[in-house]
Amino acid sequence: MRRWIYALLGIGVLALAGVLIQRALTDSLVYFILPSEYAADPGAYAERRIRLGGIVLNDSVAFDDERLELAFFVTDSLQTYPVRHTGTPPELFRENTGVVVEGRFEEGVFVSDNLLVKHSEVYQAEDGHPIDIEELKDSLQ
Amino acid sequence: MSSVALGPLGSAALLLAVAFALWGLIGGAIGAVRRDARLTTSARLAGVATFLAMTAAVAVMEIALLTNDFSVSYVAETSRVSSPVWVKVVTLWAALEGSLLLWGWLLSGYWALLSLVAPNGPLRPWALTVMAGVQVFFSGVPALLTPPFSAVSPVPLDGPGPNPLLQNHWMMAVHPALMYLGFVGLTVPFAYAMAALITRRPGSEWMMQTRRWTLIGWGFLTAAIVAGGWWSYEVLGWGGYWAWDPVENVSFMPWLTATAFIHSVQVQERRRMLKAWNLLLITTTFSLTLLGTFLTRSGVISSVHAFGDGPVGPAFLTFFLIVMALSLGLVARRWDQVRDRADLDHPVSREGSILAGNVLFLALTFTVLLGTLFPLIVEAVSGQKVTVGAPFFDAASLPLWMAVLALMGVGPLLPWRRAPQQSLLRNLAWMGAVGLIAAGGAFALGMRGSYPLLTTGLIGWNLASLTLLILGAVVPRVRVGTRSVAQVLRSYAFENRRRFGSMITHFGILVIAVGILGSSAYRVDEQLRIDIGGTAAWQGFDLTVVDRYMERSDQRVSVGAEVQVAREGRILATLYPRINSFAGQSMTVPTPAVLYTPLYDVYLNIAAGVTPEQEFVVLRVVRSPLITWIWLGGVIMALGTGYALSPTRRAVSATQRSREEGTAAT
Repeated sequence: MRRWIYALLGIGVLALAGVLIQRALTDSLVYFILPSEYAADPGAYAERRIRLGGIVLNDSVAFDDERLELAFFVTDSLQTYPVRHTGTPPELFRENTGVVVEGRFEEGVFVSDNLLVKHSEVYQAEDGHPIDIEELKDSLQ
Repeated sequence: MSSVALGPLGSAALLLAVAFALWGLIGGAIGAVRRDARLTTSARLAGVATFLAMTAAVAVMEIALLTNDFSVSYVAETSRVSSPVWVKVVTLWAALEGSLLLWGWLLSGYWALLSLVAPNGPLRPWALTVMAGVQVFFSGVPALLTPPFSAVSPVPLDGPGPNPLLQNHWMMAVHPALMYLGFVGLTVPFAYAMAALITRRPGSEWMMQTRRWTLIGWGFLTAAIVAGGWWSYEVLGWGGYWAWDPVENVSFMPWLTATAFIHSVQVQERRRMLKAWNLLLITTTFSLTLLGTFLTRSGVISSVHAFGDGPVGPAFLTFFLIVMALSLGLVARRWDQVRDRADLDHPVSREGSILAGNVLFLALTFTVLLGTLFPLIVEAVSGQKVTVGAPFFDAASLPLWMAVLALMGVGPLLPWRRAPQQSLLRNLAWMGAVGLIAAGGAFALGMRGSYPLLTTGLIGWNLASLTLLILGAVVPRVRVGTRSVAQVLRSYAFENRRRFGSMITHFGILVIAVGILGSSAYRVDEQLRIDIGGTAAWQGFDLTVVDRYMERSDQRVSVGAEVQVAREGRILATLYPRINSFAGQSMTVPTPAVLYTPLYDVYLNIAAGVTPEQEFVVLRVVRSPLITWIWLGGVIMALGTGYALSPTRRAVSATQRSREEGTAAT
């Protein structure tokens, strides 16, 4: 009899833990996507924290060293979005380099609080040919 | 360059170690089955022989590193002529091949020590055989799969040096060694658990004989985790110490299950319960160290596509599966002997609280495991790439941690079997009152938020509990005797090492809780642009960038800023946050500078490169109140563990007596 009570208590604790875990997981999953994936379904990522990968568009970088704000465009050759990042650019940050920014979209602008430079082997083709999306994504991950 | 070919010498030593370990395994098993004393003894000596061979391999590697012998592959890949001597010494564990060598060496040290000091009995032959089996793997991997002694041709004149993150801080000399000592230490109770199952002696004999080993392993693991936190605080430049990174998580999971284990063994010792549970816990702990190595060394975690990146991952996975299959199979075969016949007398008892704590620790382990593996599951199921961030781990584990803290206050006050209600309620009333006063006081001082207030209350609750524990032990003794309070306290602490050590360790956890509370709830993290020669006011401090800072040596170049930290016109410190570049490495390492004080830290890191043209510097400034308490708490936990391990007077006098008898006999 008592054994059953303990078993039930144990199951109760586990169920509670399960609920806590499930809620925490769904709230804090951060999807890693490319600009074209966002464009395909912006609603799915509204108000969500995401990691956006892509290549820094040529001639798009502006850094305000008074307010420490970095602005640039990130692209996967199919879609391009503006990014606003608070803070200084990392040392290896260059145009036409792979980056991953973490944050969320606010009125069409990606507001980032974490900027990582990734040495992607897939560079934007000079003549504007689209690049292999899957390859780009793998190389940025 | 050198007259002796170090590479072949090291390889030979490793192969010899594998051969000795194989003999320990095969000879030991045959000897144990046939109860052949000669075979058993020779297998026992194989432990010592393996240790000597592994020591030779490590010594050869150190000589190769110190003499810049770049004909040895590991040296060519990780060392550099201009590195300082200490860096060369610790380069042994700066990369995968070397750290596996270190792991195998430390394991052989434990095995050799165990084969010399383990009490003679029915468990010993099998325990040593299991140790030998584990050693076959940990000598075999460096000998065959990740050979560090391969020949390099043509011999390079210099190498790249170790990873800059590692040579940037002396803690890197300490943290990995502590971690491996912990992992390896927990192999001993695992080996004894297997021996207990094989010999059908699942009583408490095996855990009594390994009590010290378990505590030693757990103590090293604890120290390693805290040291690793401090290393990342000092080196990684974001002003934090724990990021729920996979590599951190996989070292944390065995700690959680080992913590459950060191508590639940007491239930078996006292009440002969939880036999199967304890066997499974130590098996899980040991397996988790292997699983962790597999996950972090094979590239599985960051991406499934990197699966099979190098032979180490599959090897660890295979060994993990073998260990799981063998140990679970053994438990299943011995199920009749290991299942509990006794029942819990009452849930409100010491054993009840330990059981509840075990459930919490396992739930924590599961949470961490799930969060670590979830990206893999999602990618396998939906193909989407996700990460599970720190918010998940915080949200899922904080309620459990609160419950752990609450239980930590109650458990030690409860007697075994059944708690007399009256004294329990009185104790709880005291603890609740102190907890409420603590939380109320914090609220009055401006603390808001449920977790900070709850944590503060629980710290008060636990401090009251520790006080009650000591009073409960001391007051009756003072009443009956003529001794003073101090004398009684001293003799109590002296005679009850294990109990008093656990109180110190629990107190250390409270100190860590204070540090985590302050540094995570009240952290301020900003980037500041300060002109050279200018001053910025920040969080009550005045930060003055006096000048640029530059330092150059053969091995590294540091560029940064000289920053004065002042408060109310008084200069507290001059800090030199900088960016280090190491010879031979393209990667630069930001090197933060920290002003440590008991109440708050001021943490400065260079956020953007300092150049001669630029008339300002950008600093990342982090204020983490009370963060020093985490490191202090870690030291207290280590001291508490050491105290619990220190021999009691009785044991000391016994060894002394036997030594005296020994001299008398000769």
